[in-house]
Amino acid sequence: MHPRRGGTLRVELRAPTVSFDPREWKVGSTEFATDEKLGALVFDRLLMLDNYGRFQPQLATEWSHDAGFKKWQFTLREGVKFSDGSPLIAADVLAALEPLLPSGQQISAAGNGIIIQSSAGMPDLLEELASGRYFVYRVQPDGTLMGPGPFFVAGSLPGTGGAGDSANSTSDSSRTVAVRAAAKPAHLRFRANEETWSGRPFLDAIEVTLGAPPLEQLFDLQLSKADLVELSPELVRRAMQENLRVWTSSAATLYGLRFDQGEPLAAEEKLREAFSLSLDRQTMASVLLQKQAEPASALLPQWLSGYAFLFNMQTNLERARELRAALPTKAATSAEPLRLRVDAPGDLPKLLGERVAVNARQAAILVQVVNRGLLPTANSLSAPSSDPAAAVHLFAWHYSTLSPRLELDSFVNFFGLSGSNGGEISSIDPEQLYARERKLLEERRVLPLVTMPEYVGLGANVRDWMPARWGQWRLADVWLDVPESASAKPADPQNQGVPVAPPSAFPGVKP
Amino acid sequence: MSFRTKLLLIVLLTIFASVSVVAYGVTHYTRAAFEDMDAQRTEALVAQFNKEFAQRGEEVAQQVRNIVNSDITLRMAMDLARPNVDQSLYVSDANGAAQDHNLDFVEFVNHEGTLVSSAQYRARVGYKNDWVLANKDWADAPAFLRKEELPDGVELALTVVRTLSGGNEKNLYIIGGRRLDQNFLASLVLPVGMRALLYRNLEQTFVASALTDVNGSVQQADRFQPLIEQIQKQPQSLVKTINWSADAAEAETFHEIPLMGRNHELLGVLLVGSSQRELVLLTRRIIKIAGAVAAAALFVGFLVSFWISARITKPVEDLAEGAREVASGRWDTRIDVHGSDEIGQLAKAFNEMTETLATQKERLVQTERVAAWRELARRLAHELRNPLFPMQITIENLQKAKQLDAKQFLEVFHESTATLKAELANLNSIVSRFSDFSKMPAPQFVRVNVNEALRNAVRLFEPQFNEVGKPTITPELFLTDPLPDIDADPDLLHRAFQNLVLNALDAMPAGGTLTLRTLERDGNIRIEVADTGKGLTQEECSRLFTPYYTTKLQGTGLGLAIVQSVVSDHRGTISVTSEEGRGTTFRIELPQRQVAGSVSSPEADTETKTSPQTLAAASD
Repeated sequence: MHPRRGGTLRVELRAPTVSFDPREWKVGSTEFATDEKLGALVFDRLLMLDNYGRFQPQLATEWSHDAGFKKWQFTLREGVKFSDGSPLIAADVLAALEPLLPSGQQISAAGNGIIIQSSAGMPDLLEELASGRYFVYRVQPDGTLMGPGPFFVAGSLPGTGGAGDSANSTSDSSRTVAVRAAAKPAHLRFRANEETWSGRPFLDAIEVTLGAPPLEQLFDLQLSKADLVELSPELVRRAMQENLRVWTSSAATLYGLRFDQGEPLAAEEKLREAFSLSLDRQTMASVLLQKQAEPASALLPQWLSGYAFLFNMQTNLERARELRAALPTKAATSAEPLRLRVDAPGDLPKLLGERVAVNARQAAILVQVVNRGLLPTANSLSAPSSDPAAAVHLFAWHYSTLSPRLELDSFVNFFGLSGSNGGEISSIDPEQLYARERKLLEERRVLPLVTMPEYVGLGANVRDWMPARWGQWRLADVWLDVPESASAKPADPQNQGVPVAPPSAFPGVKP
Repeated sequence: MSFRTKLLLIVLLTIFASVSVVAYGVTHYTRAAFEDMDAQRTEALVAQFNKEFAQRGEEVAQQVRNIVNSDITLRMAMDLARPNVDQSLYVSDANGAAQDHNLDFVEFVNHEGTLVSSAQYRARVGYKNDWVLANKDWADAPAFLRKEELPDGVELALTVVRTLSGGNEKNLYIIGGRRLDQNFLASLVLPVGMRALLYRNLEQTFVASALTDVNGSVQQADRFQPLIEQIQKQPQSLVKTINWSADAAEAETFHEIPLMGRNHELLGVLLVGSSQRELVLLTRRIIKIAGAVAAAALFVGFLVSFWISARITKPVEDLAEGAREVASGRWDTRIDVHGSDEIGQLAKAFNEMTETLATQKERLVQTERVAAWRELARRLAHELRNPLFPMQITIENLQKAKQLDAKQFLEVFHESTATLKAELANLNSIVSRFSDFSKMPAPQFVRVNVNEALRNAVRLFEPQFNEVGKPTITPELFLTDPLPDIDADPDLLHRAFQNLVLNALDAMPAGGTLTLRTLERDGNIRIEVADTGKGLTQEECSRLFTPYYTTKLQGTGLGLAIVQSVVSDHRGTISVTSEEGRGTTFRIELPQRQVAGSVSSPEADTETKTSPQTLAAASD
C-alpha cells in the first residue's frame, strides 16, 4: 500500500496548555512532552536519532569533533526555508540554540555552519542535540516564533464555551496556547508546510485538541472522532479489550518522592529509610496500575542509562517498623502526620500518593496526602506557592533528553540535590554516572516509585506511525488510509488521501 | 404596724399568692404539655429516621444484589476462584459498579479477604479487608453502619455485604454502601421548630466538623462537645438542653440517640433538637398575663381591703383612742357603738367600763375627801385642844380666884393672863403652819449642787446627833463626786431635805444610822435618805405623803407632803421603801440640769412625772 497524501489528522491531548517557545519549556515536566511533540511539527533539530540508534542529519548535514570532544562543528543544510519562505542561516541557529545550551558550552557561527565548544569534553553532544529543547527557530519581530518544520500553526480555535480561552491566535505561529481548566477544549490547527526542506508531509493538516479528558479521548477514538489520542494507563487495558491500536513507548515518566530538606521530619534519615522500606513498588505497578507501569529502583530508566537493573529497592516492612520505632522521641511521638503533597497533576499521581500513604501506615508512619492546587500554569514538578508546606512531594519527571548525563544533571539541578554540578559538564562515563546516581539514592532524598511509558491510541486509518521508542512522535511520516469512496468525496477535502511517492530526503526516518 | 396595715397586707398577700399559684399551675401544666408534645414529636422523628434508615439500607441491599447478579461480577467471582489469577484486571471494576448502581462505596474482596477492587479507596487494593470473612452468611444480613476509611479521612457508611460463589467454595464478597451525611438528614420531614443533626463518631475525640445538619456544617458545633463526650462514654439515649444565649427562648433541647455499628461500637449520634422558643414565649405570656391580673387584683384588692379594713378597724381605733383618753385621766370617756357585732359589744363594754370607773372614781374621791376632812378635823381638833384645855383651866382658876383676896387674885390674874397669852400664841402658831402649807411658794430655779445642799441640811442637825442624854445617831454620807448640777430652788430643796432628815431622826428615837446617798442614774440624780428605825407598814407607806397624815404624836402631817410638793415642782419623783424593824428609805429622782440650748424650763413643763415606784402621787 502506498502512502496517500492529504487528510487531516485529529489529535487529542490531555495537556490544557502548549508552548511554542523552547526557551520556556521546563525540562523534566510532563508538560514538556506535549510542548516537544507539537514543537517538532513546527521546528526542526540539527540531527535526529533513528530507531536503530543512528544519528541522522536534519538541518545539519555534516558534523565533526576534535579528539577531546571539546569542539564540534556542524555544517548546515543548504536551501532550508522557514514557513514564511525566508532562508535559514547560521545566525538563526546561533540565536536559537544559544539560550538553550547549558552554561559552559559556547556556540558560534562559522560560515555555513556553527561551532559548539566547551572546556570539558562533550562526547554526548549529539544525543543532547537530537532531543530535548534543541530546536531551531526564529523569533519574529512580534515575539512569535516560526520554524522550518513540516507544519506551521494555521490557527487556534478556542473552545466555544468561554471567551479568551486562547492566549494567542496568530495565524502562522504562536508561543503559547492555553486552555483554562474549566473551559471547553481548544483546538490548534497545523497546516502542511509546502516549502519545508524535507518535502511536503503526507498530511494536509493536523488538528490538535487540547485539554481533552482521558475517557473522552478514548470515546472519540472509538467513535472515530479522533485519529490519535493519549491514553491514560488505566484505560489502556480497556482500549486493548476493545481492539483499539495502542502504542507504548519506553519508560517516559518517573514518578517518585522527594523529601523537602527544609522540613524537620524530612531531615530524619531513619524516617526516610523507614519510609523507603515501606514502599511496595511491585504492587503499585502490577496491581494498582494494572501492569501499565514498571517499579522503579533507579532515577534513570534502563533504556537511558543501561545500569538501572543494578539498583534494587526491596520492601522490608519489618525493618521499616524497627527504624520507625527507633526514631527520636520527638519525631516518633509527633501527632502530626507527615504531609505528602502530590505535585504532579492528574488522578494517577494522586492514586500513587494515596498508595504511598497506605504503605507507610504499615510501618506506623502516618501520612496525610495533600493535592496540589489546580492552576493551568502550574508546573508538574512544583506546586503553586500558595499550597501548604509538605515534608514529602510526589513528583513526575519526564525524561526529555537522550543523554543520561544531561538527564541526571537536569534532575539533580532541578531538585537541588547534593552532587549538583552547578551547570558544569559532568562525566559521561557510565561507571561514574552509576556511582553518582547510587549516592543520590542512598541519601534517600529522592525515592523512585514507578516509571510509566506513554500510551497512544491510534485510529485504524493511521499509517506509518513510527515514533521513537523514547516518545518522540514523527507525524510528518504519518499518512491516513482513507477509503477510495471517501477520498472521492469532494465535501471533505481535508480528509482526502492522495497517493504519493514517499519523500526521500530523510531515509533514516522514513519507513 | 397598725391593725389596718396588717389587715391590708394580709389581703394583698392573699391575692398575690392566689394569682401566683394559678400562674405557676398554668405554667407548669403548659410546660408538661409541651414536653409531652416534644417527646412525641421526637419519637416520631426517630421513628422516621429508623424507617428511612431501613429504607435506605434496603435500597443499598438491592443495588448490591444487582451487582451480585450482574454478569461482570459473576465472571469476576469465577475468575478469582481460579489459582494464580491476575487480580489487577479488576482494580477498576468497583468504580464502574459504584457508578452504575449509584453507590458511594463498592468494594470487592476475594475469598482470602484481600481487597481486589475499591471504588472509594483504590490505593488500598491488595491489602486485607478480612472483616467480611467473620460472617459466613451475609445473604440476609441487613444494612449496618460502618466506619468507611477513605484516602482523605473516614466516613460513616450504610453498608450491605453479599457474597457470590465463584466455585471451589471460594466466595467473592461484594460490599456496597452509601454515605450517611446531611443528604440523609434532608430526607427527614422535620416539624417546625425541630432539627436533626448527625454526629459521625469516627474519631476518638470530639471533632466539630463531624457534626452536620441538613445544610452541612453546624454553627457553634463546639457547644455539642459535652453532649457527644457524654454519649461517647455511655452510649445511651440522653436529653440535654443547650442555651445558645442568655435569652432562654434561644435554648434548644436535644434528644441524643446513639447509632451503633455491627459490633456495638458507637459510630454515630442522631441529635433531634427541639427549640424551646414556643414554650418560653408562651410561659412568658402566661407570666405577663398573670402579672397584669395580679397587678389589677392587687389594685382592686387594695381599694376594697382598704375600705373593708377601715370599716373593721375604725371601732377598734375608737376603742384604742378611748383607752388612751382613759389612761390620760378622762375616765368618763365614751365611744360610739356601731352595730351589735363583736366590735360593737366591745365598744359597749368599754363604755360600761368607763362609766363604772367614773362612778368608782367619784366615790373614791368623795371617800378620800371625807377621810381627808376627817383627818384634818381630827388633827385640828387635836392641835387646838392642846392649847384650849390649858386656857379652859386657866379661865376656871381665874373665876375661882375671884374669891381670893386682891393680892392673891392679882397674882393669879397675872399668871392666868400670861398662860392665856402663851396658849393663844400657840394657837396662832398652829394656824400659821397650816396657812404656810397652803401657801407653798413657786420655785425659783438656779444651778444647784445636790451634794452641797444635802451637806447643808445635815449640818443643821449636827448638835442633835450627839446630844447629851440622848441615843447617838451616826450620819453616813455616800455622795458621788463629782455629781452633775441640777436646776432647783435652793431654799425649797433645803426645806425638803431638812424635812426628810428630821423625819429620819424622829424615826430613830433609840438611835441608829442616818444614811445619805447621791448617785447619777439614767440622766437623773438620785438622792436616798435612809434610817434604821422600826420601819413602816405597807399601809403607812401608802398614806405617808397624804397631808396631815402622821404616825407621830407631835407631827402635823405636813412634812412629807411638803417634800413631795417640792419634788413634784422640780419635775422629780419620790418613793419610799420600808421594811419593818430595819428602817425606811426615801428615794428622790431629780432630772439633771439640761445643757444650754436644749434646756426646757421646768415651769414650762407642767406635767409631773411620777415613777411607777411612787406610792403617793404629788397631786394627791
